[in-house]
Amino acid sequence: MDPMESIKATFFQECEELLADLEAGLLAIQAGAGDEDTINAVFRAVHSVKGGAGAFGMDALVHFAHVFETLLDGVRAGRIAAAPDLLEILLRAADILADHVNAARDGGAVDEARSAEMIRDLEHATDPEHDHRAAPDLAAPDLAAAGAPGVDQPDEFGFTVTRFNPESLEPLVVTEALWKIWFRPKSALYRKGNESALLLRELARLGPTKVRLDQTELPDLASLDPESAFLAWEIELEADTDEAVIREVFEFVEGDCDIEIRRCSTSESPDATSESVITAIVEPPPSRATVNTESPASVKVETPKGEAVATPAHATIRVDPERIDRLIDLVGELVINQAMLAQRVIESGLPQSSNVATGLEDLESLTRQIQDSVMAIRAQPVKSVFQRMPRLVREVAAQTGKSVRLVTEGEATEVDKTVVERLGDPITHMIRNAIDHGLESPERRAAAGKPREGVVRLAALHRGGRIVIEVQDDGAGIDRKRVQAIAVEKGLIVADAQLTDEEVDNLIFLPGFSTANAISDISGRGVGMDVVRRSVQALGGRISITSRPGQGSTFTLSLPLTLAVLDGMVVDVAGHTLVVPLTAIVESLRPKPADVKRLGPQGAVLSVRDTYVPVVDVAAILGFRDYSKSPCDGVVILVESEDGGRAALTADSIYGQRQVVIKSLEANYRQVDGIAAATILGDGRVALIVDVDAVIAMRRRDTIRDYQQPLAAAG
Amino acid sequence: MPAASAINAIIVDDQLTMRALIRSTLQQMGVSNVRDAGDGEEALVRLAERPANLIISDYNMPKLDGLGLLRAVRANPNTQKAAFIMLTGRADKDLVQRAAQFGANNYLVKPFTLMSLKEKIEQVFGVLT
Repeated sequence: MDPMESIKATFFQECEELLADLEAGLLAIQAGAGDEDTINAVFRAVHSVKGGAGAFGMDALVHFAHVFETLLDGVRAGRIAAAPDLLEILLRAADILADHVNAARDGGAVDEARSAEMIRDLEHATDPEHDHRAAPDLAAPDLAAAGAPGVDQPDEFGFTVTRFNPESLEPLVVTEALWKIWFRPKSALYRKGNESALLLRELARLGPTKVRLDQTELPDLASLDPESAFLAWEIELEADTDEAVIREVFEFVEGDCDIEIRRCSTSESPDATSESVITAIVEPPPSRATVNTESPASVKVETPKGEAVATPAHATIRVDPERIDRLIDLVGELVINQAMLAQRVIESGLPQSSNVATGLEDLESLTRQIQDSVMAIRAQPVKSVFQRMPRLVREVAAQTGKSVRLVTEGEATEVDKTVVERLGDPITHMIRNAIDHGLESPERRAAAGKPREGVVRLAALHRGGRIVIEVQDDGAGIDRKRVQAIAVEKGLIVADAQLTDEEVDNLIFLPGFSTANAISDISGRGVGMDVVRRSVQALGGRISITSRPGQGSTFTLSLPLTLAVLDGMVVDVAGHTLVVPLTAIVESLRPKPADVKRLGPQGAVLSVRDTYVPVVDVAAILGFRDYSKSPCDGVVILVESEDGGRAALTADSIYGQRQVVIKSLEANYRQVDGIAAATILGDGRVALIVDVDAVIAMRRRDTIRDYQQPLAAAG
Repeated sequence: MPAASAINAIIVDDQLTMRALIRSTLQQMGVSNVRDAGDGEEALVRLAERPANLIISDYNMPKLDGLGLLRAVRANPNTQKAAFIMLTGRADKDLVQRAAQFGANNYLVKPFTLMSLKEKIEQVFGVLT
């Protein structure tokens, strides 16, 4: 990539962070929690956007940022008060600044009129006396003029350039440095399988070393505890490098050793401590009171809004996502290979206690750990999606004339990057829907004795190996009578259908359902909740709604944490190996003939604890067999579909539960009805992963056809 | 005329983009010995590890700002001779005068073009070879 292009990419990435800081800062000030640092950070965010944009010649962006920054500078200096109405302007200006950034990145255009009006508003707020309409401020400061102060005579600011004295160049160029490192491992270092010799060898790669062993702590043989550590080393390293580089060598044993790194210049004796010594002693771990074997919980506790969060600065590296994807693919292959190897060992008849078998167990555990670590690299907090929502709420609230407060929880909840990226649309739609259809107008709320301001809560949490997103409003709840009437009118259900409250609520997910009489500008846009449900299902997720009249509704979205692996039940269906996603399975059972009731020419229902569930003959539906086999001849897997309905899938036998790596069928072959994806099993066979919902839907279509055919024949 | 290879620079800016831009400008000028720091405090740590003879620093940064860094650099005998170019956010006369007073060699107003940055460096060092 062209270096400028890659810097530009960095710039836009940084802009996203800056814009998020800007908005967060403004919201904090609005909530009354903005101190001097917050205002400074807000100013710096806009300022930094301007600075970067200037270097790339993004003039419109620079101009807007400049006007915005001027006003913020006034606020920072205390000339302009951060009154509520000013904050409204600043927040809207932040939105338009984001538009400018997007336009510069995607080559699109911004709403010129809106931007120009905002510039006038900002200028008016900065200096109400000045008539900005008459004389628009043309542009950012003249770059050329600012860039030409005199070298030998002062410029207009009285600044004279001081030439650098080349003579002072030489002594400054330090070519070599001597480092003194004192390293004392603790027994924990050895217990974790680390090796001092390897660390010393690693250090020697940085430059010539002189190593001296310090064995003063070593007791006599009789009192020597073989599991303790007694040795220490003093190393002199000659290398022109940073302390960080040296420290990196000890990165993995940090906490398990005492380490001191000192710099001595070559001229000095190594023992003399120079003034610019940098010392750091790695603190030992707290104590051995608790053995912390658990991995850090992935759900982080949210700090209440407005409270200052002390985030320790930690170094991050940016990596091309393709490299990570490649790594994930490879780890997937590793998992498959490891499973194949395990299978071969079992087949070869080696005893369980053999060295090969135990070695294989270790390999399996390591493979799992690698897989988890690789997945963790791709995990991202949902924050990036959540932080786009305040703007949406402001806009929709303005369009609908409603007063809304957005509360977010669990922004730090982490989930696979691909899932994060695809969460945006469904969440956006659910929030629009919550404000447009869920919340009442301020007048109606007041009449109902509620606060005029409605609350929309957006939360993320981990539950049972999945991520759950909740969008909750405190509005009127679903008008079930109206929903049922509309469903009848649209022919989605029959007029006298007896539905539970839950079933009525879930009618809104049916294709072609829209409660607004005139499609509103907000939720409308030709997208219904059915589209949301479909996009969620495409991610292997489910969406459901619960509602309480007068108290509001909650949309619950549940998604897998990753799209790369899946826990599944491996089954045999007519000689084909299939995988049923574990998340869909309720239980498996062997039905008695008395429990099965035939229904029509092909269909059957199964009685499970006094309720009837339709039997889905998977083999017949997928075309493995052209006759229907009795469910009593094999096993039945009771599954729950996305809409909460249950079905009994028939299979010939169950092999067991396994974690499988998902391979796209579409990418390698083509889309197949009823099949979600494919995987490779331990013995190298390809197995298809069943799309439970699709199979149930196919069965439903077949049943309808079965009923219609005799009718047509009779007619 | 100093050789570009004799220059040992440090870029101090809280913005990754700015650091990357300045670094690429320096590289175009043949200066490859470049380190960077995200704020004034970090810069002082880096400078204590190894001095530099060119410091290009932003003014508005968290922790320790550009003026604070400039004062610290001029106060330390190990770093006081380094060339210091201050990047200022705006054409602010007070700020520029304070930078001059504390001994900045040159200054540049953001947003700037890479061409003008190169000029500023050359005003201080002459054309690099």
